[in-house]
Amino acid sequence: MRVLKPFDYFEPGTVKEAAQFLTTHGGKAQVLAGGIDLIPRMRIGKKEADYLVNIRKIPGLETIEASGANGLKFGAMATLHSLEASKAIQDDYPILYKAIHQISSVQAKNMGTAVGNICVATPASDVATALFALGAELTIEGVDGERKESIQKFCVDYGRTSLKENEIVTEVFLPRPPAGTGSAFMNLIRTHADIAKVSIAVAITVRDGVCEKVRIAVGAAAPTVFRAIKTEAALKGQKVTHEAINEAAETAAGETKPITDLRSTAEYRREMTGVLARRAMEKALQQVKA
Amino acid sequence: MKKEIASFKVNDRAHEVLITPNMTLSELLREHLGLTGTKNACGAGECGSCTVLVDGKPILSCSTLAIAVQDKEILCIEGLSRGPELHSLQEAFIDAGAIQCGFCTPGMIMTAKAMLEGNPNPTRDQVKEGLGGNICRCTGYVKIIDAVMGAADTLSKGGK
Repeated sequence: MRVLKPFDYFEPGTVKEAAQFLTTHGGKAQVLAGGIDLIPRMRIGKKEADYLVNIRKIPGLETIEASGANGLKFGAMATLHSLEASKAIQDDYPILYKAIHQISSVQAKNMGTAVGNICVATPASDVATALFALGAELTIEGVDGERKESIQKFCVDYGRTSLKENEIVTEVFLPRPPAGTGSAFMNLIRTHADIAKVSIAVAITVRDGVCEKVRIAVGAAAPTVFRAIKTEAALKGQKVTHEAINEAAETAAGETKPITDLRSTAEYRREMTGVLARRAMEKALQQVKA
Repeated sequence: MKKEIASFKVNDRAHEVLITPNMTLSELLREHLGLTGTKNACGAGECGSCTVLVDGKPILSCSTLAIAVQDKEILCIEGLSRGPELHSLQEAFIDAGAIQCGFCTPGMIMTAKAMLEGNPNPTRDQVKEGLGGNICRCTGYVKIIDAVMGAADTLSKGGK
């Protein structure tokens, strides 16, 4: 097996120290969290780094903190396993639980972090799809202080985020879904060890049969995970009838920009986005009723 | 690249090894400590052959830097048996005929060990789910699941 190319290694004790190190070494340093993406990519030469900055020793980054009515936040080193095991996430953010739970590799969940997954910016991330639908907001820290950004602004393009070379994502905040919200996560996948052809996450808030608020996130059907904003806008303020859902599903399919690759054709991805969007909306609405 | 002498605790024994930052945990085990039971296969985090336990949790040693686990408890397949006395999981894999080429076996057993510690009496479906990160290309998994179920039975009756 190929050996990793030489690099130097740094374990900062604070976010500030990490940011300063990243500033000094510019694009030659890479942040290391779980390593499940970075290390294999470095091995095959798809990623190069003179320095790895392992953030595991920065205090507090692994915490998951539910603050009831306000929402929930978790740090950059919270592993997928610890998020999956969180009672607060299972109860109040079930689509995030589901998106993580269906990942088959126990090892990947013990090592990998949700923040690392977001920073890789793969359009096929089930975890990111759930986080888009939950309205995740990221805290990004650098030498000049911190900024907040929504996850959809953060994911700029295929494999590209808004993160500057000397910034790190330190925290993710999930607002608490309002009363009357139902949600669903679904993906189309050949086997659970594989990557999804399409994934969908929906969170819909209904009052008196009218859609008050809705987020529809689509994964693996465009260069980034994205929110189907035309579909959301069309649904908002409407009665959630069968017809409205069917129409919304079609609109969502039209909002995709899929590619053809070894897992699926672009046409199939577009069609299936419509099918999954409809099923996910129906399932989410059933939850509202229940 | 800086070299340093690092301390590791592997299978309850302390080791000091001259390492570089680019050394993975699987390289440390196989090439520097002679513990070749842990296998390198895909090198991409897909197959689970390189699974070892770090602080009791299954992780992929091919994608873990040795330098990052200096302060942790590392357990690999060689740490399961006591002298000639095999662990119940190892016995169960032999009894069930759950080994063909054997390449996935150490990873399977390490993952199964951690799973059974968390859930001593799993259903077959729970075993399947628990081993979801370990690929076997020979057996079709039936005998592997039989073996883990058998080991769970032995262990719950006080076996080791």
